[in-house]
Amino acid sequence: MYIEIKDLDFKYQNAKEHTIKGFCLSVHQGEIISILGSSGCGKSTILRLIAGLEVPSSGSIVINGKVMANHNRFEKPENRGIGMVFQDYALFPHMTVADNIKFGLRKMSRNEKLNRLNDLLELVGLSGYEKRFPYELSGGQQQRVALARALAPNPSLIMFDEPFSNLDANIQQKIRDELRDILKRTGITSIFVTHDQKDALALADRVVSMREGCVTKVGKPEEVINTNFNDVRFISN
Amino acid sequence: MWIRNIKWQFNSWAILTFVFVLLILLPNLSVFAQLFTEPNENWYHIKEYLLKSYVINSLTLVFFTALFTILIGVSLAWFVSAFEFPLKNFFKWGMVLPLSIPPYIGAYTYHGILNYTGVIQSELRNSFDISVEQKYFDIMTMPGAIFIFTMFLFPYVYIITKSFLEKQAASLVENARLLGSNSFEIFYRVIIPISRTAIIGGVSLVILEVLNDYGVVKYFGIQTFSTAIFQAWFGMGDHGSAVRLAGILMSIVIVILVLEKLFRGRRKYSFSTSKVRPIQKLKLTGIKGFGMSAYFFIVFSFAFLIPLAQLALWAFMTYDIIFTEEFYQLVWNSVFVALIAAILIVVAALIIGNYTRLSNGRIAKAASKVTILGYSMPGAVIAIGVITIFIGLDRKLFPVYEAIGLQPTLILSLSISMLIFAYVIRFLAIGYNSIESGFDKVGQSFTEASRTLGMSVTQSFFKVDLKMIKGAVAGGFILVFVDILKELPLTLILQPFNFYTLATKAFQYASDEMIQEASIPSLFIIMISGLSIFLFHKILEKEPS
Ligand SMILES: Nc1ncnc2c1ncn2[C@@H]1O[C@H](COP(=O)(O)OP(=O)(O)OP(=O)(O)O)[C@@H](O)[C@H]1O
Ligand SMILES: [Mg+2]
Repeated sequence: MYIEIKDLDFKYQNAKEHTIKGFCLSVHQGEIISILGSSGCGKSTILRLIAGLEVPSSGSIVINGKVMANHNRFEKPENRGIGMVFQDYALFPHMTVADNIKFGLRKMSRNEKLNRLNDLLELVGLSGYEKRFPYELSGGQQQRVALARALAPNPSLIMFDEPFSNLDANIQQKIRDELRDILKRTGITSIFVTHDQKDALALADRVVSMREGCVTKVGKPEEVINTNFNDVRFISN
Repeated sequence: MWIRNIKWQFNSWAILTFVFVLLILLPNLSVFAQLFTEPNENWYHIKEYLLKSYVINSLTLVFFTALFTILIGVSLAWFVSAFEFPLKNFFKWGMVLPLSIPPYIGAYTYHGILNYTGVIQSELRNSFDISVEQKYFDIMTMPGAIFIFTMFLFPYVYIITKSFLEKQAASLVENARLLGSNSFEIFYRVIIPISRTAIIGGVSLVILEVLNDYGVVKYFGIQTFSTAIFQAWFGMGDHGSAVRLAGILMSIVIVILVLEKLFRGRRKYSFSTSKVRPIQKLKLTGIKGFGMSAYFFIVFSFAFLIPLAQLALWAFMTYDIIFTEEFYQLVWNSVFVALIAAILIVVAALIIGNYTRLSNGRIAKAASKVTILGYSMPGAVIAIGVITIFIGLDRKLFPVYEAIGLQPTLILSLSISMLIFAYVIRFLAIGYNSIESGFDKVGQSFTEASRTLGMSVTQSFFKVDLKMIKGAVAGGFILVFVDILKELPLTLILQPFNFYTLATKAFQYASDEMIQEASIPSLFIIMISGLSIFLFHKILEKEPS
């Protein structure tokens, strides 16, 4: 298994109850996983735990044989090599598109950085935009910059938190298809969080359904999503 | 588990934060600890004959100043936010300006206006041949001191209450109006109760300023804790009693802080500038509108216009004897110490702020509270604490001095570093507040993004966070700089021999009855503070939140 998460528990400092309870998940290399669940069930929290932005109270996370977190080890986020695309993209407003994308590139010569930048711009279809600032881009373009920025350092895993929630329905589908295309082309393992089942159906190899901090179901998108009556109705709409 | 948490928390940011917290606590604790030691003989004398009058004088000043600043501050705030009247927009900002005149400058300016040789009495004598009873023109009394404090401190109450009323009160006031209450009833039954938290916030700043004051009471010859501490230390050379007095004053301040918490309850007034529906303003015309403007004009005159005009007049008369080499040295001294201290404060505030924001544990929260402690403590208390620490440190360092070939004397405690250290303790909270609110606005997601891109906390700080809170850093720096420029009690106690700042020189001139010579340094201070207040409020006004 490429990613192995076992019995993860987590509580926010000022919360009364555990937000994540006994969360388990295994992921193959190159797989696209979608985490599905209603608002507040802990989807973002899982991503934060995997990225190392929160410290689990118990359980373990192992990626590619390397222990990221368990009872006596905790790897800092900057050493995990995990890319993340945030819900609000978190593009650095004081940097141009080019600087944003090059931000995570280190131990590279200027030329190598430039080549990598151009490759990524081409990949996300934003060649010619490198001099712009984030606020000069549309929502969809921002999202693609955030994707390019996360992909730039060649992460072993990339995660998305509700990547389409800021986009309107028309563009949403287009971007979703583009994203799947890019992910499959780069062969990168990815996890994305959504509460929209259409996203999960269109993108994921496997779907993890969550509820109140626990995994309720894991499987092929059609299996997980069809088993629930409400979901069927939702899809047929 | 436990070890891992320690490792996760334990980085250089945490260490530095705890060092800073310790440095702030140390002088305060050393003063406090003195309360539990065996007192000397002189102390019994002080306790027997003097302590009672210190307490009564200090509390009288505090009580009446609080009362009058509430009356003036809250009424002005209410009028500005609920009525339209001539010149309202001017007065709305104008009422902040008295803060730029430190009370001690106000005190000797008013004395200069009113005394026998002052402009009023000489005008009466020369033009109308009227001699007045001196006692009616003596401002150097308890009521005079209360007048001075009220005039130059009420803006604290005004500003906080105004920003509260502008944001929170619209619906309540409208409801009260619909129910048929008149404006006076609304003020009394609605405004005062709902703005309680804001008023308490403002008035506790006033009280802390009154307790901090040394200049006004010294100049007017009123015995309070501050003057008593000075006198015990310098006059009698009784360091033990000075520290003990400081300890008592410190306890009073702590009681006030606790009371403030209790009275304010759980609700926090907010300084946020987000736009909310303003109160529908009643337009006052005719005599009512004129009366309202007149009220504002009178307050504005007494609290700003008159003292400023008098100072300008004096400055005009003395500028040729003041603008000398010595004066430029004075400006340089003031700017130099303020600059160094402000830089240190901003750096410390950035470190503590970044650490508390990222770790958000209980200990980190406590660290941020400690910064407030210094700002609440009167200058005299901090000064005494800092001297005690520095002298102790010097004694410990005697062998080191000898080893590097220096005389084993007091080196640190006779140097400017002591003064700067005290400034940092006293004004850290000002810089910290500004930087903390900057961090709050930016949030954590940019830092988190940076970390998932392989940057450490420190790298993220320099590449991302610092750049994004530039404005808050600059704002905090300016506020601190100006506050230090105006500062008197700390500087008076801790300035090295023959080292004067604008503030201490102005005060010395005034104390030596050279009031006119004091005018130019005073105007300098007022100008710089006025400018920064103006800039700051303009920035606050504009900044979207
Ligand atoms: N910093 C925090 N402190 C305390 N509780 C938090 C914090 N962040 C989130 N929570 C709580 O933890 C739970 C899970 O939050 P999380 O953000 O993971 O939900 P989510 O599934 O991503 O929801 P959404 O779909 O709305 O984004 C919620 O109940 C939330 O209120
Ligand atoms: Mg979420």
